[in-house]
Amino acid sequence: MDSRYEVEFTVRGDDFLAAGEASNQIKETLVMLGVPSAISRRASVITYEAEMNLVIHAGGGILRAVITPERLTIVATDLGPGIPDLDLAMKEGFSTASDRVREMGFGAGMGLPNIKRNADVLKIDTEVGKGTTLTATVFFGRQAEQGG
Amino acid sequence: METGVKIVEGSCKGCVNCIKSCPTEALRVIEGKVKILPELCIDCGECLRTCREKALALDEDDWDLLKSHGPVTLMADPTFCAQFSHYWSPGLIREALASLEMQDLFDQASIAFDLAALATARQLQEASRESLPLISIYCPAVVRLIQVRFPELLHRLVKTETPLETGTLLWRRETGSKGGVILVTPCSAKVMLVRGPVGRTKSMMDHVVSVKRLARDLLAAGPKVEGKSGAPIGSRWLAWALRGGESRHVRAFSERKLTTMAVSGLRNTIDLLQDLELGRLKGVDFVECRVCDLGCIGGIGNAESRFLSELRLSRQPIEWKVTAGEHAALQELYETGIWKLEQPIQPRPRPSLADTLDVAMKKLKEMQALYAELPHIDCGACGRPSCRALAEDVVRGEGELTDCVFKLRERISLLGEEITLLSGKLPHAFHERKHVK
Repeated sequence: MDSRYEVEFTVRGDDFLAAGEASNQIKETLVMLGVPSAISRRASVITYEAEMNLVIHAGGGILRAVITPERLTIVATDLGPGIPDLDLAMKEGFSTASDRVREMGFGAGMGLPNIKRNADVLKIDTEVGKGTTLTATVFFGRQAEQGG
Repeated sequence: METGVKIVEGSCKGCVNCIKSCPTEALRVIEGKVKILPELCIDCGECLRTCREKALALDEDDWDLLKSHGPVTLMADPTFCAQFSHYWSPGLIREALASLEMQDLFDQASIAFDLAALATARQLQEASRESLPLISIYCPAVVRLIQVRFPELLHRLVKTETPLETGTLLWRRETGSKGGVILVTPCSAKVMLVRGPVGRTKSMMDHVVSVKRLARDLLAAGPKVEGKSGAPIGSRWLAWALRGGESRHVRAFSERKLTTMAVSGLRNTIDLLQDLELGRLKGVDFVECRVCDLGCIGGIGNAESRFLSELRLSRQPIEWKVTAGEHAALQELYETGIWKLEQPIQPRPRPSLADTLDVAMKKLKEMQALYAELPHIDCGACGRPSCRALAEDVVRGEGELTDCVFKLRERISLLGEEITLLSGKLPHAFHERKHVK
């Protein structure tokens, strides 16, 4: 199918002022397309958390959103430090963020768990020292509840 | 769909100054005249402040006509009581109004505002940690802004009806009267409480007139008042005219210590809602936003300077202590549920580009392609607030690319080149003659 819509953003590491811009734009796109608000809400949680991970942990990266009539796929790619223990990273409250970042109100260890809760499918490829690619999918239709 | 803003036909010069002031990009200037896209308008009144030609006005009823039909009953926003230097208290204003055969509903308002504060305090007490902070509904422009731009925050709006509505209902119950009630509004947003209420099907009030109109009339008549001591009128409701007054009132009724935040001004409101949306307001219980500077006294429909109103209000003696008697009476009213919002408030998303997702995607791609061709300086000469808005209007079939002066000039220059090129060509017959020479 060629009916797909793609947007891509370069997210800069440690740039807390611009953080949230990419997810905001993706959200606006979904609204223009008429995606129901319950779904665009889940999608914006995923994009926001993925974007923040790029800002806080990865030293920046690429955030890509691919929209087809059936689904939204968010791909966050970085060349950061990688995640040594993925199971631990998925635990609520676990975080490797610095004190400086925490003082700003980020790094509460809720990012990945939040993404997992809102995505229908979540895939994380990571290698220490090489980087991480996170792929999260949200289905627009009914098949979402049946588990895609 | 209606808005609280009226276009004064004939006054608009098509200057496009207003279109950039709109926070939701709801204004267009088409064929030299301003137009409002009602589905985007939040009635905030920013455009009224910007227009130098007075081509945009508060959409109020004809006061002279209403007055000519005999005695009137007024439900006034508290800002009304901060408009005068010599009628400085509700009691004096009551006397002045009465001498002109106008009846105020100050007593009912005072009870209704108490009741709203109490009901909100109770909701804050019962709410779970995650559902806090809750947001005030008193500013209708904030409610619309949330409906249009922050639908994720709708569930945080308190489920309390505006006390202006509840107060009118109290009066109707007390007197059994079906007579007309006029809302005295400080802004275009509250016009919509009467014309197109949110969270209920129909308003208890029938007409709407600006604070400015009524205050000027009162000042022009200038009735003498003696300060006859009638029954005292409650004072806490007056605080709602100023930013933070509602929060203070809610705190007065809360059994636990509340953390409240109050901001005023459109930009501050949007910033705060964004913070809230990103989950940055942990530990806050209640958020009070007003789109006008300093709160409702900054509304475009007031007569007095907001700074003088603020000064006057700060000098009003306000009795924050709620007596046991008041408490008991309010508890009784609370239990009747009269303060409740009738219906949940629904999101009002801007219409999508098309009905189905794949058509919408096609249009979105078209829109991006068109946008890429535009100059990206958002000059406004096309009558749209931004190049993006023009691209969107074109895709929606509500404009042409050549509405952009830069694109138009490009087209003309291309056409010009073609004309020059064509002018060099000659019919074959002439060609030969030329060669013969």
